[in-house]
Amino acid sequence: MSFDSDVSPSSVPTGSPRFDRERVGDFQPGDMATQMESGLGQENLPGGSLPDEGELQPGVEPVARSQWQLFRRRFLRHRMAVISLLVLIILCMMCFGASWIAPFPKNNQDLLAPVAGPSGTHWFGTDTIGRDEFTEVLYAGQISLKIGLSVALISTVVGVALGSLAGFFRGWTDQLVMRVTDLFLVIPQIVILSIAIKKFGQSDTMIALVLAALFWMYTARVVRGQVLSIREKEYVEAARAAGASSSRIIIRHILPNIIGPIMVNATLAVAAAIIAESTLSYLGFGVQPPSTSWGNMLSSAEGVIGTPRAYLLYFPGLMIFVTVLAVNFLGDGLRDAFDPQAHE
Amino acid sequence: MTDEPPLIELESTSADGSAPTIPGVQGDRRDIHDDPNAPVLEVRDLSVEFKTDDGMVKAVQNVSYTLQEGETLGIVGESGSGKTVTSLAILGLLPKKAQITGQVLFRGRDLLQMNERDMQTIRGRRIAMVFQDALASLNPVFKVGDQIAEAIAVHADTKVATDDDRVVDLLDLVGIPNPKERATQYPHEYSGGMRQRAMIAMSIANDPDVIIADEPTTALDVTIQAQVLEVFERIQDRTRSAVLLITHDLGVVAGVTDRILVMYAGRQVETGTVDDVFYNPSHPYTQGLLASLPRLDQRRAGERLYRIKGQPPSLIFLPPGCAFNPRCPHAEPGLCDVTRPELVDVTPDHRSACHFAADLFAGKLETTA
Repeated sequence: MSFDSDVSPSSVPTGSPRFDRERVGDFQPGDMATQMESGLGQENLPGGSLPDEGELQPGVEPVARSQWQLFRRRFLRHRMAVISLLVLIILCMMCFGASWIAPFPKNNQDLLAPVAGPSGTHWFGTDTIGRDEFTEVLYAGQISLKIGLSVALISTVVGVALGSLAGFFRGWTDQLVMRVTDLFLVIPQIVILSIAIKKFGQSDTMIALVLAALFWMYTARVVRGQVLSIREKEYVEAARAAGASSSRIIIRHILPNIIGPIMVNATLAVAAAIIAESTLSYLGFGVQPPSTSWGNMLSSAEGVIGTPRAYLLYFPGLMIFVTVLAVNFLGDGLRDAFDPQAHE
Repeated sequence: MTDEPPLIELESTSADGSAPTIPGVQGDRRDIHDDPNAPVLEVRDLSVEFKTDDGMVKAVQNVSYTLQEGETLGIVGESGSGKTVTSLAILGLLPKKAQITGQVLFRGRDLLQMNERDMQTIRGRRIAMVFQDALASLNPVFKVGDQIAEAIAVHADTKVATDDDRVVDLLDLVGIPNPKERATQYPHEYSGGMRQRAMIAMSIANDPDVIIADEPTTALDVTIQAQVLEVFERIQDRTRSAVLLITHDLGVVAGVTDRILVMYAGRQVETGTVDDVFYNPSHPYTQGLLASLPRLDQRRAGERLYRIKGQPPSLIFLPPGCAFNPRCPHAEPGLCDVTRPELVDVTPDHRSACHFAADLFAGKLETTA
């Protein structure tokens, strides 16, 4: 359940174009001469000191790439991330479109074929009470993905808010926020989770909220560190000198610079939340029947290990595996795409 | 430099021939809170100290000056002489640990007594600042046009989206070619000189009463410096903003300012008009600065440049008496290292803080120049 944040806080925000080798490489060779110098009323040196890149063609219209275009280029170059994104999109479409895609209605029992292995009719087989496993996996995916996404969303919003307050205002605000963060980090999460869920109920909303309450600290820490460094930049002082208020500086001037680490953390939180939900369900604290998630499908298939019915374990397990893997690859790709210093 | 930068003239002069305005500006800047008779900016007896582990750093001591409408005042001094701290103190941008005394009167209102919320309406709107390093001062993830729009939006009363035309006009005004296209580019796509122009465009976006330019040309090479300074002059012709130009470059000051204030070790040592100070420097430090400028005339082959001997003093342990006395060629033991000279008038508009100001002014002492 521990959310292994792979994002080093030092991963460079989208800024610092000075060191952006790739971006420099992205310029058409004519760029600097035609765009940068022409306006200065300087004569371009003949054959000037332009970066020597074989494909110099006179008259090529210079193309300035926006941050978004650069981001997209770098992301698309990351093949695994692109595949993962496609896999996730397909997965989401299948799960949330289950009522159209699933071959059988939810909880429909085929009493003639209980515990039947995978076949043409039942692609993933049927479970102990004759429900089509493929249908069940799709519907369960709705809950697992919903929890994963909402936990990531909530924990990111809370983490960004608290982290940026702590990093920006420092002093006692920082002390307070970070000590609370430490507190949440050291409490035994499984215990808190099970108690909280027993107390507040086992609806998927509640599970998402409780998980989010245990996930925001990682984002908060990363964001705090980033804000601490960005707030010292001159453009923040310039914004202050232009009359911007603190909230405006945080929201409009600092956060756009650390969107990279935030996004990466958010994707990792999706994966971690799905796993956490599975763990909870496996322990019996997750969503309760008749709702199903991948986690409690695993849990109810507990007895099949070592029997011919082991496929009941494989399919929900495979879904978790594929989803988490894809989300992690996606996070990797995003990190590289946001990091202007990334090499190929 | 044969080419003139492509400076595009704006047809913003109103039909009746009154003062030209920049886009969106209507005449008189004063608002109801302003004292109509007060100068735009008056700094009185400003002192700034920082408490450090080694002792009190006296960054600025008893600095006073007045800035009139449309005037350009140059503050000159070497690194650590308190130029930047003075300007940051005006805008209330110093860290909280700074101990500030004195008064900063902006149109009669003391900015040092103002709360943060009111200060935010002053910063950028009435007093704007141009920083030294334009690349670092521009947010790398925003298009330049959007940043200028943001500077306007900060002070906009309404949530109406900023007029793109206004941004383009501003870029045009500071001499950026293809302003429409340029507005959609990022800071890293600009050259150094253009970034500084973009910063200037941002600073004049709200037609401020005062523009504080903190070493605006230091990071630029000489030809670009000249262009940026020209932009300042042109802006000032149009908007009649007062400009506080902070620099260590005497050449810059000579070109564009009306009056000069020379600072040394946190104190003002000489003030006067540009001509007064350049042709009749009446403080040994100013004389030394001028003498250390390379000159094309009056220089013999093999002759070395003059330099002021020694180092600027630590701002924690200032020498007793005149802070400049350990480096001064005219220092008189028993006087200069005991009594601190006050600013005295050498002519009605020219003041120097030296015991020998009158003699230096009259040329009775051998000058270093």
